[in-house]
Amino acid sequence: MAGPAAPAGGCPSCGAPVGPQDSFCEACGTELAPASVSSGEVGGNPGCQSCSSARVSPDGYCESCGGKVSSGRDHEELDLGLLAGVTDRGLRHHRNEDAMALATADTVRGPVALAVVCDGVSTSARPDEASLAAAQAAASVLLTAVRAGDDLLEASSQAVRTAGEAVDSLAGPAEDVPSATLVSAVLTSEAVTVCWLGDSRAYWLADAAGSAAQQLTRDDSLAAEMVARGLLAEADALASPHAHVLTRWLGADPGESVPHVARFEPPGPGVLLLCSDGLWNYLPEAADLAGLAMPGALTRPLAAAAALVTFAIDAGGADNITAVLAPFPPTRPAPAVTEGPPGAAAR
Amino acid sequence: MSQPGFTVDIYQNEYLTEGAREVNAVVTVTSPDTADFAPRGSQGSAEIIIVDCSGSMASPQTKIAQARAATAVAVDAIRDGVAFAVIAGTQTARHVFPEDGGLAIADPRTRGRAKRMVGRLRPGGGTAIGEWLRLAHQTFIRHPADLRHVILLTDGKNGEASRRLDDAIRLCEGVFSCDCRGVGTDWKVGELREISTALLGTVDIVPDPAGLAADFAAMMEAAMGKQVADVALRVWAPQHATIRFVKLVAPAVEDLTGRRRQAGPQAGDYPTGAWGAAESRDYHVCVEVRPAAVGQEMLAARVSLVVGSPSGPQVIGQGLVRAIWTDDEALSTRISSQVAHYTGQAELVQAVQEGLAARREGDVSTATAKLGRAVALAQQSGNEGTASRLAKIVDVVDAATGTVRLKKKVEDADEMALDTRSTKTVRTKK
Repeated sequence: MAGPAAPAGGCPSCGAPVGPQDSFCEACGTELAPASVSSGEVGGNPGCQSCSSARVSPDGYCESCGGKVSSGRDHEELDLGLLAGVTDRGLRHHRNEDAMALATADTVRGPVALAVVCDGVSTSARPDEASLAAAQAAASVLLTAVRAGDDLLEASSQAVRTAGEAVDSLAGPAEDVPSATLVSAVLTSEAVTVCWLGDSRAYWLADAAGSAAQQLTRDDSLAAEMVARGLLAEADALASPHAHVLTRWLGADPGESVPHVARFEPPGPGVLLLCSDGLWNYLPEAADLAGLAMPGALTRPLAAAAALVTFAIDAGGADNITAVLAPFPPTRPAPAVTEGPPGAAAR
Repeated sequence: MSQPGFTVDIYQNEYLTEGAREVNAVVTVTSPDTADFAPRGSQGSAEIIIVDCSGSMASPQTKIAQARAATAVAVDAIRDGVAFAVIAGTQTARHVFPEDGGLAIADPRTRGRAKRMVGRLRPGGGTAIGEWLRLAHQTFIRHPADLRHVILLTDGKNGEASRRLDDAIRLCEGVFSCDCRGVGTDWKVGELREISTALLGTVDIVPDPAGLAADFAAMMEAAMGKQVADVALRVWAPQHATIRFVKLVAPAVEDLTGRRRQAGPQAGDYPTGAWGAAESRDYHVCVEVRPAAVGQEMLAARVSLVVGSPSGPQVIGQGLVRAIWTDDEALSTRISSQVAHYTGQAELVQAVQEGLAARREGDVSTATAKLGRAVALAQQSGNEGTASRLAKIVDVVDAATGTVRLKKKVEDADEMALDTRSTKTVRTKK
């Protein structure tokens, strides 16, 4: 678990006083609470899972049977309290080409949660590197903008441009350009700013029965465009061969990578879900997703995200799966009560 | 690392459909582009030129005269400090220079003396190529050197029992490399090819003796450019895998599969001979693995280079040949253009060889079919050299479909040129 917001008291590295909106400690230069990214650097199993030989080569293959030893990115969980996410390789892909980045900040107007989910296009070059670079770059831009109090719609577009540059710079001289989708969300106490490019989605999962769950994004896919123009019935869209043919994505020509940005003011408390198509393929309807994740996601987003991912794996796990849940409005849990007469129940 | 700069690059489509077991990759090995990358402490080069002095070399007289001149040209191309000798071959073999056997160190004086001795060569006698190889072997092993190379010239068929030649070849394998040349058309391509294949050299026809000098000069210059001997391609595969084949595919086709030397429980070394600067060769590796489930990835082979050095073999460079099982057809139906190209080139070589063999046996229909297939493959792959040599053996009706007719009259020299040069391939763009 990484990245709590900088305590009002001091820099976690050197203890010097820091302001609640500082990105860097002015004394020692440490970045305060950078985004947490699903880079797989923590964990990873030793030893081969296929043949239980303990000899693994430095390049990650079993010295006996040649099987690839699983990477830390095959299953990762990030829990920042204010929000949480789970990403999983699934059952049919050889590596996880999804990535997520989560961050929080404490601003004068209260806590802010933000998240980015990216899905690398398998048939492009280095999709796993592309999704990670894009998620990291976009989250970094958003976090800086949040701390500076910048306009979030503009910052979201800028984040996508920066993510696109990060993806472009990965391409080798003779290689195809890497490609990925992107969906981001910034949650303040007032609104949710959603931005997307491709077919990863954002959903609003309502708390009370009064405000219905809804899908906030519309896929940049051929099927979705045909539905919008009345050429394809909604019910047929999911099964259509065009369902996953992207019309816009990161890493494309500038004309084809203009993101959609929208500001959504929720009518009441609820949870924002960001997910890749590895999840919504199995559960496309907002009401069904809410049925699975709520109300637990309001207070325990990690457990709820894990439940969504497990559902998709059990249903077939044909693709990489990523689910990020961010309760709205973002609220830091009240500090545990530690004072009171001795013997009184205290955590 | 005392062997900078050898690179190993892998070209493949690593995605396999469910249950598929065969993994193909093209491995490009490139040597450094620097003047001196021989390992420190290496013991230099040694050269022997073997000249056929059998009776047939006198008819016509120009043959032996041109052979003497070409040998002199080759001697002149030997660098100072390189050890060398000249051997005359008949039904026995004898030292021409140095006369007492052994090798001389090249300098202007020794080269001059050698050329004078070569000038006195007179033809007469039979042809026992096995004896020639044995004398070269005997001469080399008394003199330490890392790079040992022979130029062998003959004009006729071997007069020994074939077993004698085979045994001599086995004796010399791994001791020296040998480039073979046949002058005129009375010699057997198969005999010289057996030598050049086993001894990691080239074989070619020189139809007109006047062409010998230039050819000898080119061979000796190439030999002088070699810096590292005994580079091997080391191929590791997982325990349950089988290496189906390892072939050199550019600049020529040569099947190395049977030459594997075990190098540890799961690895084998395949000889690639000597390398000079800025050389690039392509190899085709085919491995059969036990298929894993969709979504799994496996290392099907690890390819590296092993270079001998005075301090022992050094392993340099590395390429990974991977297998990833997928149900995404967009990935698994991709074709590696390099693998497809060299599979086609290998098929072309085989079609030429089988077509020529059928023609020699009088099997017109097989010859027509095979040589026709070769014509089609040569055109498809842009192998103009083989295409033009084929056009001297067959009349091409339609190259694309491989429709041909055997020519009624074919010059022996043209048939032998196609035979010897059929293994040459064209490279593919990367």
